[in-house]
Amino acid sequence: MPGYNRAEVSAELTVVPSWEGKQSPRAQAEAARRAASESGLAHESGPGRTVLSGGRTEVLEALRKVIEASLDAGAHIVQVKVEAEGDAQRFQKS
Amino acid sequence: MSASTTAETRTVPTRPGPAAPVSRPNRVGENTVRADGVPKVRGEFEYSSDMGADGMLWGATLRSPHPHATIWSIDITQALAMPGVHAVLTHEDVPGRKVYGMEIPDQPVLAWEHVRYQGEAIALVAADHPETARRALDRIDVTYEVLEPLADAERAMADDAQRLHLSGNVLRHITIRHGEQAPVADVVVTGEYEVGMQDQAFLGPESGLAVPDGEGGVDLYIATQWLHVDRDQLAESLDLPPEKVRLTMSGVGGAFGGREDLSMQIHACMLALHTDRPVKIVYDREESFFGHVHRHPCRMRYEHGATRDGGLVYVKARIVLDGGAYASSSTAVCSNAACFACGPYDVPSATIDSYVVYTNNPPCGAMRGFGAVQTAFAYESQMDKLAAALGVDPVELRIRNAMAPGHRMPTGQVVPEPAPVAELLERLRAMPLPAEAPSEGRDLRDLPGGVSNTTHGEGVRRGVGYGIGFKNVGFSEGFDDYATARVILRVADGEPLVEVHTAAAEVGQGLVTVQAQIARTELGVERVSVLQADTAVGSAGSSSASRQTYMTGGAVKLACEAVRERMLERAGLQAGEDPGDLSLEDGAVVSAGGGRIAALTDVLADEPIEETVEFHHHETYPLDENGQGDAHLQFAFSAHRAVVDVDTRLGLVRVVELATTQEVGKAMNPQALEGQIDGGTAQGLGLALLEEIQVRDGRILNASFTDYLLPTILDMPPVSKVVLEHADPEAPYGLKGVGEPPNISTPPALAAALRDATGRELPRIPVRPEHIVGIDEHPPARPPLPGSRGPTATPHIRP
Repeated sequence: MPGYNRAEVSAELTVVPSWEGKQSPRAQAEAARRAASESGLAHESGPGRTVLSGGRTEVLEALRKVIEASLDAGAHIVQVKVEAEGDAQRFQKS
Repeated sequence: MSASTTAETRTVPTRPGPAAPVSRPNRVGENTVRADGVPKVRGEFEYSSDMGADGMLWGATLRSPHPHATIWSIDITQALAMPGVHAVLTHEDVPGRKVYGMEIPDQPVLAWEHVRYQGEAIALVAADHPETARRALDRIDVTYEVLEPLADAERAMADDAQRLHLSGNVLRHITIRHGEQAPVADVVVTGEYEVGMQDQAFLGPESGLAVPDGEGGVDLYIATQWLHVDRDQLAESLDLPPEKVRLTMSGVGGAFGGREDLSMQIHACMLALHTDRPVKIVYDREESFFGHVHRHPCRMRYEHGATRDGGLVYVKARIVLDGGAYASSSTAVCSNAACFACGPYDVPSATIDSYVVYTNNPPCGAMRGFGAVQTAFAYESQMDKLAAALGVDPVELRIRNAMAPGHRMPTGQVVPEPAPVAELLERLRAMPLPAEAPSEGRDLRDLPGGVSNTTHGEGVRRGVGYGIGFKNVGFSEGFDDYATARVILRVADGEPLVEVHTAAAEVGQGLVTVQAQIARTELGVERVSVLQADTAVGSAGSSSASRQTYMTGGAVKLACEAVRERMLERAGLQAGEDPGDLSLEDGAVVSAGGGRIAALTDVLADEPIEETVEFHHHETYPLDENGQGDAHLQFAFSAHRAVVDVDTRLGLVRVVELATTQEVGKAMNPQALEGQIDGGTAQGLGLALLEEIQVRDGRILNASFTDYLLPTILDMPPVSKVVLEHADPEAPYGLKGVGEPPNISTPPALAAALRDATGRELPRIPVRPEHIVGIDEHPPARPPLPGSRGPTATPHIRP
């Protein structure tokens, strides 16, 4: 079976590494990945992109940690897109 | 259940499909010949791979030869320069979300850095000839750093295992804690069991045709199980609004869960939109093995405790499912394995832990009976082992502990009516056994090995075994499960005609026929046309979980009722009669006394009546941290008895007979029901004896029907059937889903029969010849007891 029962909230992060950061661009991206991984909510969603998905509170809390880890590593830009994904909206009538 | 008017507007199709045939079905409960049966047998049916379009290009997919690797570079220059090649695309060309997935979007549309399984898609080619496309794939230069595959689920669960996904390797862990958690029993039996990776082996490998509409959108003609879930994933990855992505069902050879995930859908649409040409992708059988998910291989450790008189005291189980590289529907499979881990028995205490784990093996997902198939083999093996330990008849032990309405399942859910577990077993036991002639002197065709001249009866032993299983029907755990149906009653060619329009996938189960039967029954109109399924109407949900006759059948019934109500209102107004006193019968409006009021053609004239409704089943709920909750809608049960002859010298098996009893609620189309039981039984026989994708270190060794063994008509014995029709008071017509149960109870019955014949433990399916050969040279620790029908066992019996 499966349903098509997406998580309550998904947040996609893209870390734009800075060449002037405290750490190398690769280390900046890795810091974000590591923080995301620790949340238990993360999946890769593209080169340098990570999706956190789960309940609203836990995603937003994890999001803050990932952003802080990225900034601490020297990233200057972290792009974030947050989507609330209730199942009902999945099958909008067209 | 609810009704609403939710019609979607339809655009002009980019490819005219085959006209929907007008049939004259019988009513619900009567045999009706399926409309697609004759064209399929004659080779006239248009399968998805048969489609074409003017100016069409052929798509092909570059796949990783490695199960685990890092991609350092992808060079498409040479491929793109080839004459006849129109596009070469990589992850950089995915316009929208670069990952997809039904539950968890974790699978790359095209891999960008990591390869997590052999066969993972990396690049696409569109060319003017399929051979050109194939050769272009060879010109794409991918630089890999090959990594050690993580190919063992237990190893993947270890704390120090390499993480294959950021979220970790344990995709889901379900615990069920039910009743006393420190139970004490007089008799304890334990066992470890394993189920191999089965392929759906559907007819017609993955294929579809994508046609750009010239306005930035795309039409996809596709063989799939759930049009709308495909559409929504496509829209996300193509970065298009859903209305710009229109899907139409094309001919499906079979599915069994294997078409529930996306395969070539996004790829074909990407190529079509990129080239502005129609693009067709057709997998061959080898690519199909890499192109869809399979049944989860599973390892299970069980402990059953019982009283001396055979009452179950507790069940403990640890279940580990290998989910492979991506999530697919693994979370639901894990849940089912847990929920049905104890079987259809009244179990006072249960301690269940079910895990599904990421590895570098092929991704696994939905397959007929998902989760319930694996655990049925284990719990039924345990019941036989317990019967042997207690010295009681294994069927009697099952009946003694049979689940019944009002009992609480290990999830706390109260077993609803009907749940005739004991009756199924009693009726099965009462069915006559096939006569046992002496092995010597028999027609060779009746012996293991057949006319291969392997035995003339020497070394042949007969065994008999029983198995029973159950599972849920419909979507569970709080999912708002619904189906949409649009019904139009009109006059065509001077006669009334009902048109039924849904998005439900006919995957060979006979859904089109049963929809026509429902329309015929509810509206009293002989001529019915079931229109091509597409996304112009609302979602019907998936053709899986044995749910479509319940859900889409329920929606069609509800829509017909709405049409009938309007029809009777109109007729009542015209005739000056109370609509409440009128009904529809044989193309006419009739009064309560049976008198003919008016012909439908006269009442309808040139004003058709149309209604679109949604049918929702009752609410279900998620499981809590202890695995408690009313997670499921309905439960379906079946039992099998297997009779086998085994050539113990060569390990060859001939299945003499499979007998079955199944609770179906209502036999909607008895002929189609029989087909479902035969088919599910055959697929269960395949899992028990033949079918396994051989995977070593993440690599598939037998991606062909030469090496992946399927049962043929020569392997299938007669199937004796008894069908129980105890109506589910809540379901349309009282029906139950019927597609999956036969697939659940067949494997344990066959394994039990083989144990009865050989005395071997046989803790793994499929049972291979080497598992049963050489009984004479290496006899089992204890020979089978006459009539024991169970394995040898070393039970722990309390003093």
